[in-house]
Amino acid sequence: MTSKKKDITELLSFNRRNFIKLAVGGAVGAGLSPLPWKLADDSAIFSQNFPWVPVPETGEFNTVKSHCTLCPGGCGIEVRRVEDRPIKIEGRTDHPVNPGGICPVGAGGLQLVYNENIRFKGPMKRIGARGAGKFEPITWEEALKELAGKMLELRNSGKADKIAAVDGNRTGSTASLMIERLLTSFGSSCYMKMPCEEDTAAEVSELVYGSKTPVTYDLENSDYILSFGCGLLEGWGSPGRLLNAWGIWNSTENKDRVTITQVESRASNTASKADKWLAARPGTETALALGIACVIITEGLYNSEFIDNKTAGIKEFKELVLAEYTPDKVSEITGIKAEDIKSVARAYAKAKSPVAVCGKGKGLLNGDVSEYAAVQALNALTGSINRPGGVLVNNPLPLSPLPGLKLDSIAEKSLKKSIFDDQSAKCSNARFATLTKKILADENIVEILLVFAANPAYTLPDGGDFNQSLTKLPYTVSFSPYMDETALMADLILPDHTYLEKMDDVPAPSSIQYNFYGITQPAMKPLYDTKNSGDVLIELAGMLGGTVGASFPWKGYEEVLKTRARGIFESGKGTTLFDTSASPWDMIKNNTKVTPAYTDFNSMWVTLKNGGMWYNPTSNIMQDDKLFATKSGRFEFNCSCLTPAKQHREKSEDSHSLTLMPYEIINLSSGWIPTPPYLYKTIFASQLLKNDSFIEINPETAEKHELKEGDRVTVSSEKGSVEARVHIFEGAMPEFVFMPMGFGHTAFDDFVKGKGCNPNSLIDGCNDTAWWNTPVRIN
Amino acid sequence: MINQGHTSGNSSGDGWFSSLIHSVLSYYSNLISNPFKSGLAYFIIGMVPMLIIGWLVLPSVLYSEQQQPLNFNHALHMESDVVAGLKDYTEAEKCLYCHSFREDGSFTGIPRTETCAKCHKYTEYPLGETAEEELLMKEYISKGKEVPWLAYYRQPDCVYFPHIAHVKMGKLECTVCHGAHGKSYTLPVYEKNRISTYSRNIWGKNIAGHKTNTWDRMKMDDCAECHTEKGHEENNACFVCHK
Amino acid sequence: MEKTETHHGHKYGMVIDLDKCTGCGTCMVACASENNVTVRSDETDKERSITWMKLYKIDNGKPFPETEVCYFPRPCMHCDEDGHGGHHSPCVSVCPATATKLDHNTGIVSQIYTRCVGCRYCQAACPYHARYFNWWDGYSFLQPYSEGMERALSPEVSPRMRGVVEKCTFCHHRLMSAKNRAYAEDRRELEEGEYITACTEACPAQAITFGDLSNHDHEVYKLSKSDRAFRLLERLNSKPKVYYLSSKEWVKKFADNYTPDQIQPATKKEI
Repeated sequence: MTSKKKDITELLSFNRRNFIKLAVGGAVGAGLSPLPWKLADDSAIFSQNFPWVPVPETGEFNTVKSHCTLCPGGCGIEVRRVEDRPIKIEGRTDHPVNPGGICPVGAGGLQLVYNENIRFKGPMKRIGARGAGKFEPITWEEALKELAGKMLELRNSGKADKIAAVDGNRTGSTASLMIERLLTSFGSSCYMKMPCEEDTAAEVSELVYGSKTPVTYDLENSDYILSFGCGLLEGWGSPGRLLNAWGIWNSTENKDRVTITQVESRASNTASKADKWLAARPGTETALALGIACVIITEGLYNSEFIDNKTAGIKEFKELVLAEYTPDKVSEITGIKAEDIKSVARAYAKAKSPVAVCGKGKGLLNGDVSEYAAVQALNALTGSINRPGGVLVNNPLPLSPLPGLKLDSIAEKSLKKSIFDDQSAKCSNARFATLTKKILADENIVEILLVFAANPAYTLPDGGDFNQSLTKLPYTVSFSPYMDETALMADLILPDHTYLEKMDDVPAPSSIQYNFYGITQPAMKPLYDTKNSGDVLIELAGMLGGTVGASFPWKGYEEVLKTRARGIFESGKGTTLFDTSASPWDMIKNNTKVTPAYTDFNSMWVTLKNGGMWYNPTSNIMQDDKLFATKSGRFEFNCSCLTPAKQHREKSEDSHSLTLMPYEIINLSSGWIPTPPYLYKTIFASQLLKNDSFIEINPETAEKHELKEGDRVTVSSEKGSVEARVHIFEGAMPEFVFMPMGFGHTAFDDFVKGKGCNPNSLIDGCNDTAWWNTPVRIN
Repeated sequence: MINQGHTSGNSSGDGWFSSLIHSVLSYYSNLISNPFKSGLAYFIIGMVPMLIIGWLVLPSVLYSEQQQPLNFNHALHMESDVVAGLKDYTEAEKCLYCHSFREDGSFTGIPRTETCAKCHKYTEYPLGETAEEELLMKEYISKGKEVPWLAYYRQPDCVYFPHIAHVKMGKLECTVCHGAHGKSYTLPVYEKNRISTYSRNIWGKNIAGHKTNTWDRMKMDDCAECHTEKGHEENNACFVCHK
Repeated sequence: MEKTETHHGHKYGMVIDLDKCTGCGTCMVACASENNVTVRSDETDKERSITWMKLYKIDNGKPFPETEVCYFPRPCMHCDEDGHGGHHSPCVSVCPATATKLDHNTGIVSQIYTRCVGCRYCQAACPYHARYFNWWDGYSFLQPYSEGMERALSPEVSPRMRGVVEKCTFCHHRLMSAKNRAYAEDRRELEEGEYITACTEACPAQAITFGDLSNHDHEVYKLSKSDRAFRLLERLNSKPKVYYLSSKEWVKKFADNYTPDQIQPATKKEI
């Protein structure tokens, strides 16, 4: 018994050795089964495809043709989609403005639409402090009711003039007209256009040509381009067009034919890439232009036929430049060698179709009247006006006017009150200065402010004054789809669609030398509960009722666009088809006639509506008799406006001895549009490092001020101060501080917020058009 | 016991071979005759459950089973007297009738309901009388919704597979990769690997990875094997199939 | 299956005209957008920022106002073998996982993310800094700032996971789509221009030309034989398939990375 018992215990004794045997058995068993191999394989696959790595859904690829409205350039875009999900933006090859190309901001635009951290997901009401960004969602009905209620209250208490609107839409766009119409029918003249270079251009056009029609330049046909600070490669005018033109100028067949001379104080992309770089001191461009004119006149290189028959005031002009602007004198003023001035003048005048262009940087800020007038004088000297390769002045777009603006007695009475005097009424910068000053002085002049497609709190070069004035306004309404600086200060948000989600129009893109009208069509369904501001305006007017409502008789924004487009059809000119083999500039040069491809309005409208465009490259150039609408009926060398720009302010030796020169780059959005995150990949580490942006200064200046590469400094002007790092750059003019524009946002998300500094907070450019002329000091 | 065997083998000089045989035999007879004492039992107790787990339990645990939202009778839809327009079509063309190529050469894969609706047009007359057809009409076609089909043969995201290169240019029959899927009356259960998240059809029906037919498995080596066989060694370059 | 293809290998390559390049950066953005390249909140950390196509800025170092700036767009050079069995593309020869290979039929150097083990040896071997390591997942709960952005992802390129190296692929998926289109039209061979990279397509100044360097009818072949043509770090004999064109001597000198104390062989004969 006992032995048996012992046997069993011994048998079952689970000692170390048996345990090992069990384990080995298990291992062998497992090894002979697929278990370890299969699990290892599957785990390897798991590690290759972590479940949180997204798998983008696939489907049918298609494209939607439309226009980019991130800047006033009017480039054609093709939105590439999977089913109805946009995945990429590409340039449109069948488009006259930018055949195939696109600018970096346009290429990255999708991130502005999809980045939910910078977008309003529906109408909002402010609940926190101003600028804190705390909002609560409300319905569209509630929001519009609240706004209409406040507006009616204002109107009924006789304060109809106390509503103001800031509008960043392009001049002449339908949205812009409707905003102005709402204000007018309501009874307010406080319609504030965001400042832009075109204001100055229009002012000068009136002085020298006698008409306000914007001047355009037929650069593609020109063989000598004398650019006064235009950032041809920095986003000037229509970036898609200019960059494309640059490729054409530098193609093998054109390389020796076309000369580009850039007048600029910094080795920008344009200055570096130009054939000739004239580094004139900022603010002395007028003198340089007149110096060149002096050489042309002295050496008899001007186009005497044009001068004799088409211009007036040449005698006074001659006297002025010969007396005041000899090459030696100009050399002293501008810092350019007299020899260089002479050689450029000769090359310019002897070229077949030279053209002089102006508008600093991207051409988005007001310029200097005297400079513009002097540049136009250069064009007149060579007879480069209204001919291919020169200045072209087109007839305005043949759009139908919007009918039926109705004013009641309240509006008529109230419209007579204006806060602007004659002087400040002219220029948008001055208007903003007046408005801001009055608000800050606690004059109760604006009770409701509507902001459309603009971010004045960030973009106005006023040292932050407008932003300050927003805290004093009782009720601000933002129509921005983005949580920008201005929107964060608003009381009510009525978010618009982003540009890829909405229908809108693109009238006469910046600098395009022929009539052009495009329509953007939605490339996707709206992602959030947003509404086209055009539709919202119509709805709002309806709620206001009376003559305001009657002034907006349309069912929706699309109907308004259609109403305007009828004029294009009725003009019987132009075409909606782009023939890729014939560029518009070739058509201008060869005076090719185009015939409309449509026979009835509806078929034209259908083409337009689907992201189409209408353009008329020929036969619409203003005839000389109509163009020169001055008193003399000729081009006027208006000497009275040629007094050179304000000279540099008096600099005291110890403080503010340097001058701030803001500059624009193509890799950052301008205006109210935030920069898409992808663009930060293109920013060099010498432009932005972590959250510091860089100022560029010449090595000589750096040495004088004991600054080293990468030093963190405070740049201060009378208006304020910002922190930046120092980048020592040979291409920067000595004694100047070059600061990039487009950084220094205090709104948006981690990608954009708090990166770098904004030169606008140093400039007092609203009082003084010379935004490139701010004395600063560095500590 | 093992030690004993070894000592006897070592002690004898000339009869070392027979003594080795002897000791090995006695070792094994000892092992078998007294399994517990020898430890063989423990070895087997360890091995057998692991074999069971590996061969039988693993497949049922590793894969999650999902039913298709509704059944689809492939065999029926391949009949030319059921689907007008399939007449005189080759087998591949019959498949392509619904699983078609787009103009850009891309493959539509599982058809959308709009393809179904080409025939299944009217709610009151769904062509047949099965419950599936009624469901298709009521839940999907009339509501304009897509059927959330589970794709048996979808390759992982890192793989690029152009059907047109294989079917149109390479003239491969659909069955080479998809087997008799087109002859099935009911849709099989969709099995998804819980770890890799891939469909069992792609990563091999057989748990041990054995394959007898070309369509049994569609891993990288299977693609490469076929490319090599057909004389397209150049298509084994990485980027041809990976994206 | 009969073999109807006449297999003369292609050698896809790129010519970038630096005289035309304006330094706008559209190529970089178009590339990132096309290839699902991730973006971080701090892109100024250039060692972490992933840019398959990267723009370099150089200047001639002359004092104001003689200063000139030039930009170098730099994709992957898709280095070739020397053809005599001497050496391979620098990255291919070091990869321990066969995750990167040179395809002799296209001349394109592939990078397979699911095969990459993340050792970064290739990154060290690449003389052009064209390879990038994913230190983070681009899209995950750890990256709250990219919310909603994954909606822009293209299904044509698989998004990368952390821990792998990635680089320019000459938009290989575009070659596959172009082939598909050709197959749909019953063609086997592609026409010039049917397959171009995203950067080529997007460049607003048409500074980039893309095509088959082995096809003498292609524009890239002709341009690569131009007097203005040169390649980066040519003395390494890595045989890049990206050519640059410049009419400026100082730009060409930069291309071989001579340090100030080194002497250019073309001018001084000692080296």
